[in-house]
Amino acid sequence: MRFLLLSLLTWSVALAGLSKHIASYDIQATLNHKTHTITGNETLTWVNDSPDTVSTLQFHLYMNAFRNTKSTFFTESGGQLRGDQFKGDEWGWIEVKKMRLASGADVTKAIRFIHPDDNNAEDRTVIEVALPQAVKPGETIQVAIDFETKMPMVFARTGFRKDFYLVGQWFPKIGVWETAGFRYSTQGAWNCHQFHANSEFFANFGRYDVQLTVPSEMVIGATGEQTKRVENVSNKTTTYGFHQEDVTDFAWTVQPNYIRVERMFEAAKETTAKEIAYEAKLGGVPEEDVRLSDVKMIVLMQPEHAEQIERTFHATRAALKHFGLWYGRYPYKTITVVDPPYGAGGAGGMEYPTFITAGTSWKLPPGSRGLEEVTVHEFGHQFWMQLVATNEFEESPMDEGLNTYSTTLIMDKVYGGIGQLPITLFGMNVWDWLHLPGISDLSLDRAAFLMSPADDDLLRKSWQYYDSQSYGVNSYMRMGVTLDTLERIVGHDTMARLMRTYHTRYRFRHPTARDFAKVASEVSGQNLDWFFNQFFFGNRLLDYRIGEVTSEQRRTPMGRFEKGGTFQITTRKDARKADDANDENKAFRKEYLGTVKIQRHGDAVAPVEIVIRFKDGSVEKRQWDGEYRWVKYTFVRSSEIESVDIDPAKKYRLDVSFANNSWVSKYQVEVSTHWSANVLFWLQNLMLILTSVA
Amino acid sequence: MTITQAISNAARRANGRKRMIVLYWFTQMMVAALAALPLLGIAVPMLAHSGWAPELLKQFDVTFITEAMQARPGVGGAAFSAYPLIIFLTMTSGVFLAGGAVKLMVQDATVYSPREFWSGCGEYFWRFFRLMLYSLLLYAIANALAGSVKKVADKMWGDGLESAPMVMAGWVSNALLILLCGLVSTAMDYAKVRLVRDESRKSLRACLGSIWLVLRNPRVMGAWLILAVFWVLFTMLYQPVANNIPAVKMPLILVLALWQQLYILARVWLRFVSWGTAAELDPELRPAPLPPEEFVPVLSTGATEDYAI
Repeated sequence: MRFLLLSLLTWSVALAGLSKHIASYDIQATLNHKTHTITGNETLTWVNDSPDTVSTLQFHLYMNAFRNTKSTFFTESGGQLRGDQFKGDEWGWIEVKKMRLASGADVTKAIRFIHPDDNNAEDRTVIEVALPQAVKPGETIQVAIDFETKMPMVFARTGFRKDFYLVGQWFPKIGVWETAGFRYSTQGAWNCHQFHANSEFFANFGRYDVQLTVPSEMVIGATGEQTKRVENVSNKTTTYGFHQEDVTDFAWTVQPNYIRVERMFEAAKETTAKEIAYEAKLGGVPEEDVRLSDVKMIVLMQPEHAEQIERTFHATRAALKHFGLWYGRYPYKTITVVDPPYGAGGAGGMEYPTFITAGTSWKLPPGSRGLEEVTVHEFGHQFWMQLVATNEFEESPMDEGLNTYSTTLIMDKVYGGIGQLPITLFGMNVWDWLHLPGISDLSLDRAAFLMSPADDDLLRKSWQYYDSQSYGVNSYMRMGVTLDTLERIVGHDTMARLMRTYHTRYRFRHPTARDFAKVASEVSGQNLDWFFNQFFFGNRLLDYRIGEVTSEQRRTPMGRFEKGGTFQITTRKDARKADDANDENKAFRKEYLGTVKIQRHGDAVAPVEIVIRFKDGSVEKRQWDGEYRWVKYTFVRSSEIESVDIDPAKKYRLDVSFANNSWVSKYQVEVSTHWSANVLFWLQNLMLILTSVA
Repeated sequence: MTITQAISNAARRANGRKRMIVLYWFTQMMVAALAALPLLGIAVPMLAHSGWAPELLKQFDVTFITEAMQARPGVGGAAFSAYPLIIFLTMTSGVFLAGGAVKLMVQDATVYSPREFWSGCGEYFWRFFRLMLYSLLLYAIANALAGSVKKVADKMWGDGLESAPMVMAGWVSNALLILLCGLVSTAMDYAKVRLVRDESRKSLRACLGSIWLVLRNPRVMGAWLILAVFWVLFTMLYQPVANNIPAVKMPLILVLALWQQLYILARVWLRFVSWGTAAELDPELRPAPLPPEEFVPVLSTGATEDYAI
């Protein structure tokens, strides 16, 4: 009977919302602004939904990454992340003061620090607790934890600066129990990695009920919906309540001078019937599944960026609309966009459930779309990381890369790309003035990918990439370009279906790259193993190039020939004479032997189309499997070869050189002259400046 | 003499030496062409026969730059590492050409001839070269002074959560840097004029004397400011026209190239006017050296002739 009741309880907990609530938290926390500490207690409700008996629990104590210079995070990062440097002595840490089970057992003394990734005994970002009684399959355990968190000076996602706080990774958070067959697991074990410089997070879904007490002058924003606001007049604090189901984390921010603006995303007004019908048809789903829901958008902006509030809302609306239409409606009621202040840029460009941080600069020119880019990208993580909750420690390209691909689509569609770089001279927009072309996200992604096209495997544990640049290029741009290539191979419509299918199938779940590959082959109806094995799970460099192109006029053959049973010899002199006569004869139809050699420079093998155009307008197309290192085509034509193009549709964005994919017989004199004139001009200007100063 | 009169006289001097300006411009272009070779050596062979050329060479396309670096890492690296040397060589060639230019701008009566120009280049090269080395130190000091403004602002602002004051401090710092560079540049013009006019070989003395002269006579910076305004005006005229030349066909590309060279020629002319202005103002600002004492013969006792002193 007890077992039955427990099972029912587990069932009801697990299926309370849209996701399986494996790890739910009730937290009460108070911010002490003077000491920059948060004193809190949490009650974790954890459901063992595996068939395993679990005798220990593992928790992340992420904030201990900022405890000292010996932590794994610090040794890997050298105290800087994304260009932001840790300065001063405001370290961050978290201490578990007490840990008790619902049974009353105090397990505080059973806590020990573990270092599953690098055996760094100085790292204190993961703890393990041996339970007095194992958690059986289907059972639920409740753990009450008292903790104190000291916020560090903000430089890597979380922390404070003056009276600004961005509070993320701040409470003891349970790891993910992976039973055999779950993701890549072969046996039941905790997936609870240390906090690395180049890694983000992984957690189960659950419910978060959080009560935050902060100084009353603070303006607050947090994950989820606000449920409560009580002023504590005696100590000039205010307690806010927030509630959110079906999420994997909880973050919040406070600052007294935030400008807080709310707007509604009204789904009916934002989308047209035509758009709904189109997406439904494209996805092969009922229109009802495509329709979006209303969302309250909250923007917390710095006063000096007030003029950019509408831009932020515009980008958030664009993201809500397109992510929703393409992959499925945003299921939460709120989205909060935070603009961190000057000096706290390290907190910007980060994603948490229903809560994102963007970032901008003072007087950002309208043509520079950095604000829109970061807003759309961070919002995109609601879909790739939060709803489809891949393991960011182990497969960062599966959230950052998919999100880069999606962001690029939206940015290029809505804004025409990132546009201008924000280069100003005393407030004047230099980019505009020099008439430089806007930059599309697609070309920017490819440009960044080319900086490190195959130095690392695309998919690696995030701390195992060669360096932070390799982590960045592989996690973001290389995966973006890989997916763009995949889209060009399977076609736009198929890719749209593929992404939607992958998203909806794994919404509120924890898929892997292998799951994505399976969905891709299933939806496209093609065997895409060759693609995934080389470009997803392998590390092949793709580079086709035109080796040699010649067109030689066929001349009179020389030597001994059999004709009508007798042998005749055409001498060199005879042949020359015949050739001269032919050259003078305007009616003579010349013949050319055209030769085209295509080389495969990279180690990636991919079927490729080759188009050969002749000067008489005729066209030859060839399909090459790319298996051997090169291929040669010969043609006998009445005309010379005019141009050769490998992959003329530019399907393979992964090809590291477009320049060598094309050959034209005509020397590009216009382009060379234009380029040369420009280079000369800029160097002359430089010389004149040097002459002026010397 | 007012500043505008000095500039106007200098412009007349420059206009009277058109052939020299053209020679200067041509030589400068040749040196620039030499310096451009490493860049062109990467881009042109890669793209001269590629159908992608128009797309990839669109202005300074970011994709092309990384593609070129990926395709030819060795060549690209070599080209970039060659650039400090190229900058040094272009600076040196600028110093060399300045010798001839300043000589002919300073000497009123000299009739221009290529021979005079080149002889001036050779004659004053080492003096001007030493001057350039001293000026580098002065620019470093200017940079440090301007940078300190930003540092002070940064320190004063502390943990401030707004960027606007720091951005404005950056503007002030940049403006100060430009002004100080203008001051050093102006002083170096006067130093060159002094070296030529005095037929002196003492570059350090000329450098320090000219800095002192510019500091004592801040109105010479007015001349620098007026010439800077001219430069801005020329640029504002050049850029919109250049932006609107659709340089895709050869005739229009040549029009653009011609327009670019006209702009360069205008800048060369401004450089000459700048030297000319220094030549005009220098005698007025710098006290003329005392005339040598006249010889007074000592008369023997009993002389009968009178000498008027």
